[in-house]
Amino acid sequence: MKKRVRRELLVYLGMVAPALVIYLFIVAYPVVYSVLLSFSDFNPNRGGVWNFVGFRHYETMLADSNFWYALKNNMIVVGISVFGQIPIGFMLAYILFRKMVKARIFFQTIVFLPHFLSTIVIGIMWKRLFQADGPVSRLIQMITGDPTAQFELMLYPETVMIPIGFALIWIYTGLYMIIFLANLQKIDENLMEAAKIDGATESQIFLKVIVPILAGTILISTILAIAGSLRGFDLIFSITTQGLQRNNAMVLPIFMYQTAFQNYTNEMRFAYGAAISNAIVVISLILILFSRLLSRKRDF
Amino acid sequence: MGTNTNTSRVRRNGGSMKSTRQWIAPVTAALLVFLVGVTGCQKAEVETAAVKQVVVKTMAYGDNSNQEGINWVRIVNAFEKANPDINIDYEMLYDEAYHQKVVARLAAGDVPDLAYMGADARWGAPWKEAGQQFDHTDYIDSDFYDFSLIPAMGPDGEIYEIPLGTSNITTVLYMNEKLVKSLGFSRPETYQDMVAMVPAAKKAGIEVVSIDGADGWAWGSCYMSAVVARMSGDPQWVSKAVAGENKFTDTVMVDSLSMISRMVDDGVISSKSVLVDYGGNIAAYNNEKALFMVQGQWVAGSIENPEVSENTIMMAWPRLPGEKPATAGSVAAAIQVGYGLTQKGASDPEVRDAALKFLRYFYSEPETTQRLRDGAIVAPILKGYEVPDDLPTIVKRKVDLAQTAMSTDVIDAFLSGDANDALNTGMQKIANGSATAKEVAKQVESLVQR
Repeated sequence: MKKRVRRELLVYLGMVAPALVIYLFIVAYPVVYSVLLSFSDFNPNRGGVWNFVGFRHYETMLADSNFWYALKNNMIVVGISVFGQIPIGFMLAYILFRKMVKARIFFQTIVFLPHFLSTIVIGIMWKRLFQADGPVSRLIQMITGDPTAQFELMLYPETVMIPIGFALIWIYTGLYMIIFLANLQKIDENLMEAAKIDGATESQIFLKVIVPILAGTILISTILAIAGSLRGFDLIFSITTQGLQRNNAMVLPIFMYQTAFQNYTNEMRFAYGAAISNAIVVISLILILFSRLLSRKRDF
Repeated sequence: MGTNTNTSRVRRNGGSMKSTRQWIAPVTAALLVFLVGVTGCQKAEVETAAVKQVVVKTMAYGDNSNQEGINWVRIVNAFEKANPDINIDYEMLYDEAYHQKVVARLAAGDVPDLAYMGADARWGAPWKEAGQQFDHTDYIDSDFYDFSLIPAMGPDGEIYEIPLGTSNITTVLYMNEKLVKSLGFSRPETYQDMVAMVPAAKKAGIEVVSIDGADGWAWGSCYMSAVVARMSGDPQWVSKAVAGENKFTDTVMVDSLSMISRMVDDGVISSKSVLVDYGGNIAAYNNEKALFMVQGQWVAGSIENPEVSENTIMMAWPRLPGEKPATAGSVAAAIQVGYGLTQKGASDPEVRDAALKFLRYFYSEPETTQRLRDGAIVAPILKGYEVPDDLPTIVKRKVDLAQTAMSTDVIDAFLSGDANDALNTGMQKIANGSATAKEVAKQVESLVQR
């Protein structure tokens, strides 16, 4: 190796190494640790030795009805994100881009505003809205004329995801709107003008011109939505109260948290929790691969 | 050509000067930040060098908006001023955030030297599991603390933490006596007396009994712990059930759980209570929206409406239908939580001595009196402590209750994990009509057996 090349390599390594070391320590190490832990009986609180237990925790997880219930709720969140936040965000961005409303900056700011707030604060705020005799209950009482009426959707497993879904759309739609708006602004307006001259309607312009151009953005947004939905913990944790509501709205990260950090009766709870967290990663990857596959088939 | 060359050279030089200007500002700023940092560090080092400090890493309980947290900050500041050689390096958290962080810190090996802790299944479990419980018996002054008021916390009478006060009553029925009288009633002697209040309370647009039923733990700690002891006539029914001597499917437990649906059907507890959280419960009572409130003794200090506080009677549940005479008028009480050294903190004599010195300051008579006045404790554990005559009325009533009522097991002091969660959630389901007492009892027993 030439002296100059060697020196350049050293400079390159010197520049990359600090970031690489930090990355390996902060990201790679916990991931590897989590995978190893999930195949062991180790409890970090107790210390002691690691014993290999094979797939025992994964088998327990698959036999646990709570896992499937949490997964179902997670899929609902994914559905809300992919089929709720993204289309609404896209539509809003298109309305703003095509100047279909006045005071565009105002609407843009209002829709994006929730994204500036802490998710915990948002969760607590929505919890207050849904509480006994809270604003939503008062509204129901006013409409129905029944002073005892309450907003009870949070109390039942069949309905709990409806108000949560509403809150999720309220928070994250603004983000997708901004992403789509930024990409829409890069489109050459002549394309749309040409389509218009050729007699295309507004909906045809949207479906035949805009959507295909933004297919890549839709895919990226879908991946972001899936990943965000599966690791979502903070909003659901803070919007629910401890006990019935949280159990009704249990998603995989909350199931993992309750298993690993609260169930003292299970001595291997950390290892079991690690297995659940690894399952979350695997499910995320499967969904992302599926969405990529789908996009390829549609020539996105 | 020459001109062109010169021009391009000038441009290059100009560009170079421009780019120099571009990077010189951020570099100067970074240099300034660095210099300020270095100077600051040097100053800190000089200050530290003057007084060698013993650092006591502490996990404190409270937040900046409640009395517990405000007092903690004040006490630490005063202590550090009086003892510049000791640094109480604390992290203060409250409620669920505290419990989460304890587990996370212990699992990560980041063990504090001193911490707010308990000795039961809820407050003591993580410390016990991590092997961090330390027996204080030989290290605390028996002339200062009254050992007869500190219950045994381990199999050999160990003291793992210094309780803030004597027993922690969790099943208090707070009664707004003035409000009850305004509806033409008096202190209830039986459950039926409470049922009789329902029509008048409904007419007045207020609840009879308010409970933070949206919080699962409130049903177990603050309600069912009292009911099951009453129905069984055995103060230790819960601990015996956890030990396998009783079953959660026994008639006693099923009848106790059935009391929830009975109370909801009778209108004594509202079905909407499962939507009321801790803060909402206290607010409802403070705002005279309920005749009674179910909570623990620690809430006495949160009744901030002076008129309500003055007119509050702290009592045990009145006689329940089907209750046994042996436990009549009883309340559930657990060992009070407090501060304790960990094994890690105790392993370093310097840290241990500094922490014990701080604890003596923290539990000093003036601070204990303040805690008593704030309504945070039932009674002090200090030797020869004389209760001041000018305590708030509500505090005197709390002491009366503690001195007269029989104490029984608190459920989550013995039952933990999935089984406790299933019981708490199950009670919420009974209250909103989505589960029966038998179903809940069966599920809890199966989880205890597992």
